[in-house]
Amino acid sequence: MKRRDFLRDVAVGGLLLNVRPGLWARNSAALPDMAVIKGEQPALLAKEVVTALGGMNRFVGRGDVVLVKPNIGWDRTPEQAACTNPEVVKALVELCFDAGAKQVQVMDNPCNPAKRTYVRSGIAAAAKSAGAKVPFPNDHRLKKVALGGEWLKEWDVYTDFIEVDKIINVPIAKHHSLSRLTMGMKNWLGALGGNRNQLHQGLDRAMVDLAAFFKPTLTVLDAYRILHRNGPQGGRLSDVTLNKTLVAGVDYVAVDTMGASFFDLTAADLNYLKLAHERGAGQINLEKLNIDKRTI
Amino acid sequence: MTKERSRYHRVLQFLRIISQLAFFTLFFMLLLRTHFPGGDYIGNVEVFFHFDPLLALTTFIASRTFFPAFILAGATLLVTLFLGRVVCGWICPLGSIHQFFSFLFKKTKLLRPKNPKTNRTVWKYYVLVTVLTGTLFTLNVVGWLDPFSLLTRSFATGVLPALDHTASSFIGMLYRINVSSVGDVMVQFFETLDINPTFIQGFFLAALLLGIILLNLIRERFWCRYICPLGALLGLVARWNMLKLEIDGDKCIECGLCTRQCQTQADPFPNDEWKTSECVYCMTCAALCPTGAIRFPLKLGTRPAATVDMSRRKLIFSSFLGALAVPFFRLSPHKTRASEKLIRPPGALPENKFLEKCVKCGECMKVCPTNGLQPTLAEAGPEGIWTPMLVPEIGYCEYYCSLCSQVCPTGAIKELTIEEKTEVKIGTSWINKNRCIPWTFGDPCIVCEEHCPVSPKAIELVKIEVVQPDGTVKTPLAPFINSELCIGCGICENKCPVVDKPAIYVTSVGESRSERNQLLLDVIKQGGSPYGH
Repeated sequence: MKRRDFLRDVAVGGLLLNVRPGLWARNSAALPDMAVIKGEQPALLAKEVVTALGGMNRFVGRGDVVLVKPNIGWDRTPEQAACTNPEVVKALVELCFDAGAKQVQVMDNPCNPAKRTYVRSGIAAAAKSAGAKVPFPNDHRLKKVALGGEWLKEWDVYTDFIEVDKIINVPIAKHHSLSRLTMGMKNWLGALGGNRNQLHQGLDRAMVDLAAFFKPTLTVLDAYRILHRNGPQGGRLSDVTLNKTLVAGVDYVAVDTMGASFFDLTAADLNYLKLAHERGAGQINLEKLNIDKRTI
Repeated sequence: MTKERSRYHRVLQFLRIISQLAFFTLFFMLLLRTHFPGGDYIGNVEVFFHFDPLLALTTFIASRTFFPAFILAGATLLVTLFLGRVVCGWICPLGSIHQFFSFLFKKTKLLRPKNPKTNRTVWKYYVLVTVLTGTLFTLNVVGWLDPFSLLTRSFATGVLPALDHTASSFIGMLYRINVSSVGDVMVQFFETLDINPTFIQGFFLAALLLGIILLNLIRERFWCRYICPLGALLGLVARWNMLKLEIDGDKCIECGLCTRQCQTQADPFPNDEWKTSECVYCMTCAALCPTGAIRFPLKLGTRPAATVDMSRRKLIFSSFLGALAVPFFRLSPHKTRASEKLIRPPGALPENKFLEKCVKCGECMKVCPTNGLQPTLAEAGPEGIWTPMLVPEIGYCEYYCSLCSQVCPTGAIKELTIEEKTEVKIGTSWINKNRCIPWTFGDPCIVCEEHCPVSPKAIELVKIEVVQPDGTVKTPLAPFINSELCIGCGICENKCPVVDKPAIYVTSVGESRSERNQLLLDVIKQGGSPYGH
């Protein structure tokens, strides 16, 4: 191959590669800010919410290393709604690979031992079947990181959550006695090590700082089964209601605000959402958003 | 006269080493597999114990109940009855360790076989008699000396944690020199091995094993010769076996090598002094004999053989000792008032019954997924030393887990399904309001409440008013224990953000297994106890 041909090919190839994101950028005005889709099958819902936002190609590029962060906090089954629905996690992993991701990693630092929660939640098996890596949290990979938060200046973070190209947050919507609800922004405590339980002394502020630091590419809120009482780990099936809805959006504040509505709460009831909005992290007035809300 | 060693017996000796290696590996693999298996139920990882007739006998006599799995010990007895102590020589993993180190010490000239013509081999029979007499009075302390208990306990609480520590130091070094990819693989591997790294008495229990191994510097297989009560029991059974040593008088050159090199002081030469109760059939003498004069022919019908000289006086003394020791082992304040720290594993029998059956093997401590089960020191009185107790500061009792009850080899912890286990209360939680963050400072926390696994939660939250020094009032949510719902799992204590001495802690009061260690009358649920009291 001649040098000239090579340069030409590189130039053309580069242009071609650049075209698609460019097109999306132009089209994004037409795309909804948030997708709220109700239906019977969690996996289908996961694919549908992402498609509604323009497809996974909008978020994940060819060769990306992606981290999918579900809530795998507790030694509970999917029916108990303490951990993210495994089918949703699996569907998202598949979408990432379809969009050309080089590697997809699924992990969480749980409250009960990871060996248990990874299994009983069904998430490890589901994610692995889709080709993801599901490593146990490794304390050797903890690093004290400057978070640049207003309250939380630095903390031990698993570098797995930092050394990736894209990060997708997949929380489940649950009751919590301190923050009232735990959804996307609370989910980041699962990326931390150290004595993270002490963060409860300023939990709302910690959540806002952490969410701003991790700033996910996409948040998919699993509200298929939601836990109304005895959160965040529940236990009884009577604490759970079938809501059969998934929410997705880039604005993580808006996604949590939408999630609150399933519990008949608004952003005004949730201190951390007010704080996040004041900081300009996202929108809590859902009327200002273009929402694709439907049932399939 | 041909001067030639017996090829046949050298092959047998080699096979014996292979057998020892195989059984030690099996024992070790089963021990390594004694951890959370990724599901709720674990297989028979404790099966070695059930082949142990000493544990079968002592728990049977002490508790006056027969644990069905011990039927397997009959196999060991049968083998010993017909073939002698082959189990000691070919199978016992602790015996293999001793034989290996004896070999090592001899090769390194640290140990020179000495003239063995002493009667010290009789010690172990006195040990056995002392222990057995104790069991007549329901005192079961055989676990301190039983080879399987001793080995499992030492490995689980000392050796494996030390290995784990070594590995994690090595892995830490890998990360420091930036070979993190290798480190990642090793971390994930050790995560699957799931070795509990923290044991309060780990150092002492490992040191004890080391000490017992070092005894091989004095005599080969010192433990097996002089101390092991299981060896003594099998020695008694072996007396009439069909594998008797024979020296071919025509070939024998009376060099005495066999007797000097005998691993267990069975005195092969002269032939009529050979003690069938001491021989473990390691084949050392037969393989070593320069003229191949030693054989072990299989012969039906018994032939009188020399026995260890047990003095009747000392036997009677031993049994008196065993009986006299009983009350001393029971000198403990906890006979009248329950020990607050003695939080037994879920399924543990009422304390008296538990102590009759527990053989202190440490299987439960090995399998505990949170490392919370620890060997006791003073908490259960002298007879209860090294029995299991939950130390929630180290690890809590996992809600959907009954593994300790499944691996207990004697039924001291009653086997429970997951459903049964979640109903068992092992203690009750208490709040130290002087240390609790909301109660003391008025700041928010609720960590204990969020971790409480029962539903509805045993920790309720109340809004309280905490007056600050400047007169302002903070109104945080503060924890309040519902002692009826609390099962004493201790996750609240374990996760409490007051990291040194948790502001919430569990004591044994209210445990389902006890009739007396109860808090409030209405806490006792009618007919709710799986133990039928």
